[in-house]
Amino acid sequence: MDWAGWAVFGLIATAALTAVMISAQLAGLTRLDLPLLLGTIVTEDPDRARVAGFFLHLGIGQAFALGYTAGFAVLGRATWWLGGLFGAVHVAIALTALVPLLSGVHPHMASARAGRSSTAMLEPPGLLGLNYGHRTPAVAIVAHLVYGVALGLLLQVH
Amino acid sequence: MVAAGTSARVARADDEPRADDETSRPIADYGLIGDTRTAALVASDGSIDWWCVPRFDSDPLFGRLLGGAAAGSFRMGPTGPATVSERRYLHETATLTTSWQTPTGRLVLTEAMVSDVIGQLLPTTLLLRRLTAVGGPADAAILFDPRLGEHHRTPRHELRGDALVCTWGSLAVGVTCTPPTRIEPGRVSTVTIGAGESFTVAVSVAHHEPLIHVDPDRAWDVLAQDEQLWRAWCGDIDPDLPHRDVVVRSLLTLRLLTYSPSGAPVAAPTTSLPEDLGGVRNWDYRFAWPRDASIGIGAFLGAGKVDEARHFLAWLLHASRLDRPRLPVLLTLHGRHPRPERLLDEWPGYANSRPVRTGNGAADQHQLDGYGWVLDAAWRLTDAGHHLYSETWRALRGFANEVADRWQDPDAGIWEIRGDEAHHVHSKLMAWLALDRALRISTTHRTAARHVSRWRAARDTVAHEVRAEGFRDDLGSYTRTYGSTDLDAALLILPLLGLHPPDSDEVRGTIAAVRRALGAGGPLVYRYPPGDDGLPGGEGAFLPCSFWLVEALARSGDLAEAHRLFDELVVLGGNLALFPEEVDPASGAFLGNYPQSLSHAGLVQAALALQRADHEVGGKS
Repeated sequence: MDWAGWAVFGLIATAALTAVMISAQLAGLTRLDLPLLLGTIVTEDPDRARVAGFFLHLGIGQAFALGYTAGFAVLGRATWWLGGLFGAVHVAIALTALVPLLSGVHPHMASARAGRSSTAMLEPPGLLGLNYGHRTPAVAIVAHLVYGVALGLLLQVH
Repeated sequence: MVAAGTSARVARADDEPRADDETSRPIADYGLIGDTRTAALVASDGSIDWWCVPRFDSDPLFGRLLGGAAAGSFRMGPTGPATVSERRYLHETATLTTSWQTPTGRLVLTEAMVSDVIGQLLPTTLLLRRLTAVGGPADAAILFDPRLGEHHRTPRHELRGDALVCTWGSLAVGVTCTPPTRIEPGRVSTVTIGAGESFTVAVSVAHHEPLIHVDPDRAWDVLAQDEQLWRAWCGDIDPDLPHRDVVVRSLLTLRLLTYSPSGAPVAAPTTSLPEDLGGVRNWDYRFAWPRDASIGIGAFLGAGKVDEARHFLAWLLHASRLDRPRLPVLLTLHGRHPRPERLLDEWPGYANSRPVRTGNGAADQHQLDGYGWVLDAAWRLTDAGHHLYSETWRALRGFANEVADRWQDPDAGIWEIRGDEAHHVHSKLMAWLALDRALRISTTHRTAARHVSRWRAARDTVAHEVRAEGFRDDLGSYTRTYGSTDLDAALLILPLLGLHPPDSDEVRGTIAAVRRALGAGGPLVYRYPPGDDGLPGGEGAFLPCSFWLVEALARSGDLAEAHRLFDELVVLGGNLALFPEEVDPASGAFLGNYPQSLSHAGLVQAALALQRADHEVGGKS
């Protein structure tokens, strides 16, 4: 297990994933904003939420990097394509299970069952995050492939 | 209550007569029930003739309103012809009751959908209908005939225990009755209800999830709690509003037409109800217009419903994110671009008004006025003491910059006429409003000096140009487009802007000219000369403009006339106080999609303007 590699490259891979997501957002491809989604768990103010969410996102990215690094260690090698494969599995689970479940635990997110008394403000992402724009799944797939490939490549080189 | 003596038999659907022609029932005959995710229209004979599930913009499960009997309906009512003795909503709730006089007494239908289902094992969509016999036993007919979507697909169905389950792929509909009664899709069941007893039906809908069966009597208790929550919601609305009952019904209708999962205000729950009976002006309104959301913000804010106002603004900014700094004309309930407009050739339409459309081609238009509505709504929030988040203000600054860039371009205008764009005076006035409100907000929110100076310069240029090109001294009025002599009822918003003092010659002259040129009798006004939009046929008087007229008169000092017109307008909504988009001035028939959010928001704004003007007059005297 490459602990030093995990600590450094996990951050780099998460930064790369974040850069892809933000670029896609700025280009008008998706409304998915992970720092905002995560940060609004702790505060309703979108600007403060983004700051909090950024660090939460870094932490989560680091946690996932631990899984990737452990996977590489179990398989006895780290390659870019293996990282990409992990990324593909990761994004499939995220889009079909994690993201749709978010509305069940997020204090400021509505659900498809929201009614008159709902005070939640954030729209639920829906299956595959499609409520945030029809290109959202494509953006998420690219971002997670970048994350996995970056991690695999960097650990391979290291 | 379980009716011990209730008996039932099943007959074929065509045993069940309907007193009038299938699609000619007046639009005003329909009541609205809903749960803030979807809504249904119920005729006074107890037939649900329009219900899209699971969302406002989904395929219709019952589409008889536009598609005739083949499109399905769900009727619960007397077996034979009967007189409606009363039709109303239970006080400050979304529960509708219809009473019929029968030979032996009265039959009462009480119905609603449950809005708050979170935290309980309840289906996301739950419709409850209960027939009660009062004063004597009554025979009632139940026809549950679901036909999903464009091609009126009949369901696969089976009885599972006491429940009828109908399925169409990922969509399932369950029907349970108390007392248990055999219901078959497309067949009439006749039940005899004992005096003082009830027959209750629960319809649950599941989409991409397991069906949840509910016991109708237990579900009725849930509905009672839901009614309590509606009453609490209505209870804190200002008791001194003029025609408070009607205003409260309008606010409740606006809330019912707000899609809770995203906060999007749907313009109307219907498509293709005609603006001209038998004509082609049939549009799909099951979308959200940022303009309507902004007007709704003003209505909710004025009535003290701050959360609803903030939700509308939050939806608007979230939904428009992919298009910024451009503001889309309309969006789906989840903020996507609508699919291309399509014609449903096989649907006969309401009273043979073809075509029936899905989708809305206005989505691709450039409309300048939307920016003005949005920035005005945001300013109203800040003026009421609410600070905008920096992200919100950043987005609004982008809109103001877009207006400063594009105000000189011709646009499609507020009425979305499909054809050549023009220099609409109303659009230019709204561009002025957008820049003016951005400047006002900038006094309390951090803004770069270069933005402020640019907006100020653009605002002053707009004011100069619109006065020079859009105002005719010979008419004493602003006009529809530059250089034209036509009038436009959208100009009635002039006294709301602050461009001219409300009692100025420009404002009073424009109000008077619009009433002269576009008045349709009494409080009614056409939005532009009828038929002057390149389409065959004409159209009715446009109700939101009538409410803007009331507001304009109240603000410009003609308070007695404003009250008189408002009194006449609120009566048009009938017992249910529901308003369509348009009214036929000759017959009083409702026209256009129904009920219409913009009409209800206009009603609330007019009432608030009257109240404000009354206070000002009272303060002076």
